[in-house]
Amino acid sequence: MITNVVGKRIQRIGIQQKVTGKTKFAADLDIPGALTLRVYRSPVAHGIVRKIDTKKAEAIEGVVRIFTAKDIPGKNLYGIINRDQTVLADSKVRFIGDPIALIAAENEKSAEQALKALEIEIEELPAVFDPLEALKPDAPRIHEKGNLLFTRKIKRGDVEKGFSASDIILEETYETNMLEHAYIEPESGIAYREKEGRITILVTTQNPHADQAQLAAILGIGPENVRVIQTETGGGFGGKLDMSVQPFLALAAYYLDRPVRMTYSREESFQATAKRHPLKIRMKTGATREGKLMAVNAEIIADTGAYGSYGIAVATRAAVHATGPYEVPNVAIESKAVYTNNNWSGAMRGFGVPQIAVAHESQMDKLADSLGLDPISIRMANAFKVGSVTPTGQTLRASVGIRETLKKIRPYYEKFSREIQETQHPLPQGVKLGVGVASMWYGIGNTGHPNPSSAQVEIDETGKITLLTGAADIGQGSDTVLLQIAAEVLGVGTEEILLVRADTGLTTDAGATSASRQTYISGRAVYEAATKAKEALLKKAAEIFNAPSSLIVCDGGYFYPQYREYQKIPFGEVAKRAVQADGVIRGEGTFNPETSSLDPETGQGIPYTTYAFATQVSLVRVDSVTGQVSVIRAASAHDVGKAVNPSNVEGQIFSGVAMGIGMGLFEQFFPNKTKSFDTYLIPTALDVPEVTPIIVEDPEPTGPFGAKGVGEPALIPTAPAILNAIHQATGRWVNRLPADLETIRGLVPPEEK
Amino acid sequence: MEEAELGNEIVEISMQVNGVSVVLRTPANRTLLSILREDLRLTGAKEGCGIGECGACTVLMNGKAVNACMVLAPKADGARITTIEGLGDEARLHPLQEAFVKHGAVQCGFCTPGMILSAKALLDENPNPTRLEIREGISGNLCRCTGYQQIVDAIEEVAARKQGEES
Ligand code: FES
Ligand code: FES
Repeated sequence: MITNVVGKRIQRIGIQQKVTGKTKFAADLDIPGALTLRVYRSPVAHGIVRKIDTKKAEAIEGVVRIFTAKDIPGKNLYGIINRDQTVLADSKVRFIGDPIALIAAENEKSAEQALKALEIEIEELPAVFDPLEALKPDAPRIHEKGNLLFTRKIKRGDVEKGFSASDIILEETYETNMLEHAYIEPESGIAYREKEGRITILVTTQNPHADQAQLAAILGIGPENVRVIQTETGGGFGGKLDMSVQPFLALAAYYLDRPVRMTYSREESFQATAKRHPLKIRMKTGATREGKLMAVNAEIIADTGAYGSYGIAVATRAAVHATGPYEVPNVAIESKAVYTNNNWSGAMRGFGVPQIAVAHESQMDKLADSLGLDPISIRMANAFKVGSVTPTGQTLRASVGIRETLKKIRPYYEKFSREIQETQHPLPQGVKLGVGVASMWYGIGNTGHPNPSSAQVEIDETGKITLLTGAADIGQGSDTVLLQIAAEVLGVGTEEILLVRADTGLTTDAGATSASRQTYISGRAVYEAATKAKEALLKKAAEIFNAPSSLIVCDGGYFYPQYREYQKIPFGEVAKRAVQADGVIRGEGTFNPETSSLDPETGQGIPYTTYAFATQVSLVRVDSVTGQVSVIRAASAHDVGKAVNPSNVEGQIFSGVAMGIGMGLFEQFFPNKTKSFDTYLIPTALDVPEVTPIIVEDPEPTGPFGAKGVGEPALIPTAPAILNAIHQATGRWVNRLPADLETIRGLVPPEEK
Repeated sequence: MEEAELGNEIVEISMQVNGVSVVLRTPANRTLLSILREDLRLTGAKEGCGIGECGACTVLMNGKAVNACMVLAPKADGARITTIEGLGDEARLHPLQEAFVKHGAVQCGFCTPGMILSAKALLDENPNPTRLEIREGISGNLCRCTGYQQIVDAIEEVAARKQGEES
């Protein structure tokens, strides 16, 4: 397919404003007379709020009002999948940081004083911080229905038979780290009541329509009375899917005749928002002498902390992806999400898949090591292809690019290996080099649930084109990609289309910016909308040219009959005539990829229509004396179906490798201890190597121009590739993240250093 | 309470901000960042942490990159301050801004103003840095989105261009 706009390195929409400092994030918005909001948060991990006395705090000059649970007009319960979280505690607090009271004040200082003057008594309850402990019958009960939030099972074939037919069986346990998203923009928003009574919230978010629905329920009003406008969002990575400041802003704006604003400090952002679920994984893998996988049995425990958030999705995704992108005839997986009194865990780039990839990719290398195979060959021997059946019983019909990513990575694997041989000798004592490979697969969109998107393309009598989408661009670049898709369909440049995005007052629901779904799902909705608008114009052009519309070409901003380009009429002229005859053109597009719910006992079903695939190789330097591991080079090959904007895709790959280095080597969030970037280190430019991004395009027939997604896949293979490289360097396996200084120092016995 | 009042005495400071003289009276414990953002409405400098760890608030003070969240008002007295707003605008982008656009070195853009100003300070001091020196020069500016590579590419291109001009 020849394309003019799709596949091109189009400049990111709004980048000029971003480099000149003109872009307004929520905290940059000027809103005269706004009150400041602050939240009193629980100092204990588990307890019952016995008394809240606000009198002294209310008497402080500048304090306008203090809200508690009893002020919530609607349901004091929210959550993105299962609703179990209170806006302000009505009786129980379940982690250090649970909100109890909300202060609205004229200024920061008064709010600060009021926080100190609040008299709150909490009866402390025994708390539990380990999910295995939390599952014991006598464990403190965090939620009424018990500490087990959810179990996902996947059963296919007969694992016992699979293991008996195996020549080698490996059983290992893995543990992954609790992580913070650490987007550089802390949560922020403003809110006010419009004259007609509607509550309007401008906020940094990945999920405007879900915010709107949840806020309406909290306020006990119809969703039409709440308008959520996404402000420019300074990164999200899943952490801005759950609400943060939204309910506080909405509640205060509901009661007060003043605009309100709220911005989390970094410390509050760390304390009060979701984390990546730490997973405990036991995985048993059986294979033949030739390295053919025969059976995988796994048990997964995800610590979802105090609240469910996306815990159910994380447990499910970890289970669905537990084998890796490989054919395995016999599978038995059980995955649980468990409540504890830790910070709540939610969505973070990959929803459990980056964690489970650590297990399945370590298993692959351990098998290869025992069987004397190279890491690429063992993966190639098992990798999915068209016609393969997944553990949920789904037959993969198209766009299975895993083998191509392995092929593309092989030369880099060989090159890095040669580099090691050439540089092995002059290294300082204790320093070793290693190369590691890891692959991944990732289902695009919600798991086994409908996840529709919608979009509109409008064309007025002047020929002005407007694309309306509810999709929140959080920096990843969906605005640009969606405009490219619309422009390609309409045969115009992206600069000729006006974009209206992520405003519940103006746009319809596109679903969340999560699960790497916007390019694929919203992109397809935009494709449909633009196609319908184009059809209306083609009809008019056909009339004008007196030719069948199937023979009309729409390209380069003109319409003309095939082979008669000299007759071309400008796009705007055709639009004008069409609108004069039939009114404003409005193309409606929707797309909801085919999924089916997973059977509760066997997990059989169609979790996603399509999957992204990737393979990465890293060259790593391990200093067993200092414990320092550095990634020196990396190459990462991603099957994205079609790269709508190759620069954006590469940007995601660089980004994913960087985040994966943090996950693999040093990031770890300790509840109630980690408060700043001083102790929560994220990769700097010095921690990240030069990365070679490789784009593989195995088109997905249901995607717009064949596109799938890449946002989360970019991260997933990184940490396991590093662990495998550490093994190659040291001969030791690391089964627990992060592979930090201490771990590495303890890895190699002194006599080998 | 008394503690909170400490350093609260009003001071008069004068600065050159983006070439414009500014004189203001402010409590001595306020930061340059809050003065820029709140009093002068120059919101290009961002607050990502408020304690000198992220670099989102980077501005140039007498040509050197500083974290504006760590500079108290009296320290800025008499200083020349350049914020991202003073570097260039859409009609006349600074070469670094142009290169960031060209290389797609921006995702969410929250770190971008600080990143560009750190890059400027680096190139002013070392017009011909290696890629590693570029990485060192921006290592105080955290970016969670880009993985830094396109940023390094952009800065390297400007350095190479400068060098071309000189030779
Ligand atoms: S806001 Fe100043 S360094 Fe983070
Ligand atoms: S572009 Fe988002 S933090 Fe750098």
